[in-house]
Amino acid sequence: MRTAFSQSLIRLAQADPNVVLLTGDHGYALFDEFRRVCAQQYVNAGIAEQNMVGVAAGLAKAGLRPIVYGLSAFVPIRVLEQIKIDVCYEQLPVIFAGDGAGVVYSALGSSHQSTEDVAALRALPSIQILSPADAYELKACMTLAYETAGPVYLRMGKADLGDVHDRPLTLRAGEVLNLRAGQGPLAFLATGSMVKTALKVADDFPGAAVWSVPSIKPLSEAAVASVARAHQVLVVVEEHSVLGGLGAAVAEIVSTHAPTYVCRIGIQDRFSEFCGSYSYLMQEHRLTADDVQAQVEAFLGRLTPVSS
Amino acid sequence: MTPPAEITAPLDATLLRRSVLRMAHAGSTVHIACAFSIVEILAVLYRGWLRHNPLPQAPGRDYLVLSKGHGVMAQYACMYALGWLGDEDLDRYFADGTRLKGLSDAHVPGLEVTSGSLGHGLSVGVGLALAAKRQDTGQRCYAVVGDGEMNEGSIWEALMFAAHQRLDNLVLIVDANGFQAMGSTAEVLDMGDLAAKLRAFGYDTRDVDGHDELALDAALGTLRDQDGRPKALVAHTVKGKGLSFMEHNNQWHYTRLDATTLAQALGELPIQLESAPGARAPAEPEEDIQS
Repeated sequence: MRTAFSQSLIRLAQADPNVVLLTGDHGYALFDEFRRVCAQQYVNAGIAEQNMVGVAAGLAKAGLRPIVYGLSAFVPIRVLEQIKIDVCYEQLPVIFAGDGAGVVYSALGSSHQSTEDVAALRALPSIQILSPADAYELKACMTLAYETAGPVYLRMGKADLGDVHDRPLTLRAGEVLNLRAGQGPLAFLATGSMVKTALKVADDFPGAAVWSVPSIKPLSEAAVASVARAHQVLVVVEEHSVLGGLGAAVAEIVSTHAPTYVCRIGIQDRFSEFCGSYSYLMQEHRLTADDVQAQVEAFLGRLTPVSS
Repeated sequence: MTPPAEITAPLDATLLRRSVLRMAHAGSTVHIACAFSIVEILAVLYRGWLRHNPLPQAPGRDYLVLSKGHGVMAQYACMYALGWLGDEDLDRYFADGTRLKGLSDAHVPGLEVTSGSLGHGLSVGVGLALAAKRQDTGQRCYAVVGDGEMNEGSIWEALMFAAHQRLDNLVLIVDANGFQAMGSTAEVLDMGDLAAKLRAFGYDTRDVDGHDELALDAALGTLRDQDGRPKALVAHTVKGKGLSFMEHNNQWHYTRLDATTLAQALGELPIQLESAPGARAPAEPEEDIQS
């Protein structure tokens, strides 16, 4: 997915000389090719993220198309106020690419992990939040982000999990993508790194539908309500806090439009306690396929028996 | 640098301060003293340096970024003198449904940035200056930053970045009035010799009396165009300049005018039309200001 990201950046920059890539001294090796072919459109702003976002706002105000790259722990979290005031308030077309979202930086601890970025940004007016699951979705998200007139946050999580789609796709803002049809009681809605896990877990629930949600904000109320009406329980899976993320967005929609049980699976309201590999931390947070399955079964077990 | 010759807007410092008082009283606002410290700076910039031809959002304009957004009433006063704001804007300041806020707000034509949360405006200004360089427009960006605001880490990030990018079209003006919200800058977080710091950061830097308009013009005139270095003026100012009871009294960061203090303030700032040739006469008699 990182290769797709790099390629997409180059494609956008070569097509539009107004595209400027800013990085807060991150992206070692990732931008080698970009720097080689688009040297004039590359700015390393140093380890100075607040300034970088303000600079991006100024560039955008003057008609350029800045793409700000950083670790998602810093972009958007460290610079949330810059995004709010300098960018969102003026609805400037700045793309924020937050890399390593979730617990990807498993060994670096909580300073480099971001499981609150979606929640923080969802409450900011005018910004869109995109969360691609694979290289195909990433390319579609990049295109959508570039074509969007306002700010966009591109949340990039664990990048080497493999594809969930088998062909290029286009994406509209708010759209949900069906990966597996099903008429059973469960529907899985997952985003980013957890889509592949959701597909695997769904194997154990006959008739379960699986949807990928690359556009967390906006999120089509009609589409989510339609899924809710077709099933009895929605299982939302994300590598993000269960507070304020995709699960919350889905629960907000169905509570208004199509009351349905929503099982929110994600990072519980806590920081990572331990250091370790990515897979280790996913175990700690009970986000492996086995753990997700167990959490779904526990949730179903607590429900008033679902009418058949 | 040479000033653009085509712009000559008369802006009289006393009239600007009276406009600030008029707004501050109408809106019962704070932040009078920090507006007063930048009156001459803004007057000099609008009168002789900023190309705006003649509208606030004209393409190709020079940018005036008020990073210390708390001083925005001084900028409103200039915009009123330029005809960009009207009497109602001043007299209904802070009234329900009005558009002029108590801090710089980019939604107001003429204000380039949303600031007041400090340490934002300079970076945006640096971005504007960088865009002007990349697009070869010849535009300059003048950024007014408070000395208290210089506490913000993002300010120093912006300073480093602008110097590294060789933004010689950036003119930083530090309003060194010696005070910030909770006390003097020396008490709160002593910034030491700001000019020396800026020189060390690669800035072509001048110390100047920030209330001496001739000195400000002269200092701006000595800065060299296109030498690759951003410019900086450390403008030494007095918070509350011009009013005996407000100068050096940090209570006036927060204090609101009442009828007595307004009358005293206006008495200390008498209108001397001959001191402002061509200046716009005050639109309202004093009793209206007090209403």
